[in-house]
Amino acid sequence: MAIAFGALTRPQAGSDLQAPSRHRTIGIALAAAGLMLAGVALIGSIIAGDLAGQADAADRVGSLGAWTFGLTTAAFGTIKLAIGLILVGIVRRIWLRVESVKAALPSLLRAQGGERGALGEYESEFGPATATAVAPRPLLIHRMAGLLWAPMLAMGVMLVYAGFLLSLGAAGNVTADPALSASQRAWVQGLQFLGEGFLLSGVSFLLGTILGAIRAGGGEVQESLSLTVRTLRMPSTAKLFIALMMAGLMVEIAQFAGYAYIATVPASADYATFSTWLGPLREFGLGLLLSGIVLALATIAKALGFQFARITQIITSGR
Amino acid sequence: MSTSPRSDFNVEISARALGPNVPQRIGRILWAPMLVMAVMAFPIGLAVGVIRSNLVAMNGDAAMIAALGHLGPAAMFVGFAAVFAAISFAIARILGVLRQGGGEVQEAAGRAIQTLRMPRTGWAFIGLMAMAMMVILAGVVGNAIVGAAILGGDAGALGQSEGLAIWFEGIRRIGVAMYLVAIGLGLATIIEALRFQAIRLRELPAEATR
Repeated sequence: MAIAFGALTRPQAGSDLQAPSRHRTIGIALAAAGLMLAGVALIGSIIAGDLAGQADAADRVGSLGAWTFGLTTAAFGTIKLAIGLILVGIVRRIWLRVESVKAALPSLLRAQGGERGALGEYESEFGPATATAVAPRPLLIHRMAGLLWAPMLAMGVMLVYAGFLLSLGAAGNVTADPALSASQRAWVQGLQFLGEGFLLSGVSFLLGTILGAIRAGGGEVQESLSLTVRTLRMPSTAKLFIALMMAGLMVEIAQFAGYAYIATVPASADYATFSTWLGPLREFGLGLLLSGIVLALATIAKALGFQFARITQIITSGR
Repeated sequence: MSTSPRSDFNVEISARALGPNVPQRIGRILWAPMLVMAVMAFPIGLAVGVIRSNLVAMNGDAAMIAALGHLGPAAMFVGFAAVFAAISFAIARILGVLRQGGGEVQEAAGRAIQTLRMPRTGWAFIGLMAMAMMVILAGVVGNAIVGAAILGGDAGALGQSEGLAIWFEGIRRIGVAMYLVAIGLGLATIIEALRFQAIRLRELPAEATR
């Protein structure tokens, strides 16, 4: 399985550099489709908001509210899947760039290497780094990320769309069986936001895979030239990213449990009370995941900066 | 500075490595403050939700429950607007690192320095991000105004509260969808920058040094 996912993110040597990224094209098209779904849901919301002030329209407002919620969240899920596809494209391009650096660098050196530098830990311009004789092994988190991004995205999409289908059922039952509809709406919210949590976790694991590719690629290039392998140590932003991602996912699992509970008591006071705070809770969980993603992107910027500085150093000093 | 005749990429040629452009410099400065703002807003939104939930459980004041039903989402979506802005700025920062680093490598190698001009996806990223921010903030401001009006005793605002809440929710959601698409376009721009770098690196050995 890990090998299969590895083939998805690392193209074979000799792949066409000129060819535009298919992941990029499909990702943009999917994101546009998601935006259109959200536009349809917006129209439904405008109609529901207009009806809300009218007498005897409560059922229609409830029905519109049920399916527009399901459709909007499905739209978000579709766009997040698109982002995931684009990130896969980024990982593949990073590996193609590694191949290019390996091929070009020996011809670009402007000085002889001389003696190797000292091995061990040191403080670089970009933070703590290590100098080793060979490329360091991938970190556990990078191996996990390479293994888990695809299952997370797949589960996320399935849950989000299962929730959307259920929202159609809930919309249809608003008049005929209000208790069943309320129960179904609770399941919809729980399922879809668990799905959103999985999708954002998949995106986070892809960002971890990008960081792993930058680290491993940098090591491969330096080792191929028999140079001291200089590698940035995991920055504090990366550690915080992992913590926020885990916390966000746990909150999404907790909100799912909460909605699963109130789905069993649709006509009770508990339903009204719980659903009032479960809404903000599920959004708080997504907020944690998104905050982690910001830190992952900041870490990628730092790792790329370190890598450019190292390539420049190799060209000018030969070591 | 002149324009390169390359047919595959729109590049500019310069004597020295170019630094980050204006959006990239803004991204470098603003990603962290935006993240801090988001991290502060999310717990406030959650706390308002919990307070409202307690009022619902105790059959509390209907006007206060309705007002908090507007103010809670307003706080939460200030957080979402901020965190999406932070993500966008962090992507711009990555693009800035790629632009500056790519130039520095070519300069160090003594070859002609080619820098990718901002692709169309990059422009679309900035435009859609700005629109999405305005749409989300429009929903947030609407919620805040109605919430404040209800707290101030405006019976009309209380009467229209449900309908307005549905509208503002729809507006905020489309804003989020637009922001997510903008982020996708920003990431797509990174792919293009990496593709250019991979190709440009292969060209360098065959070129004469300056």
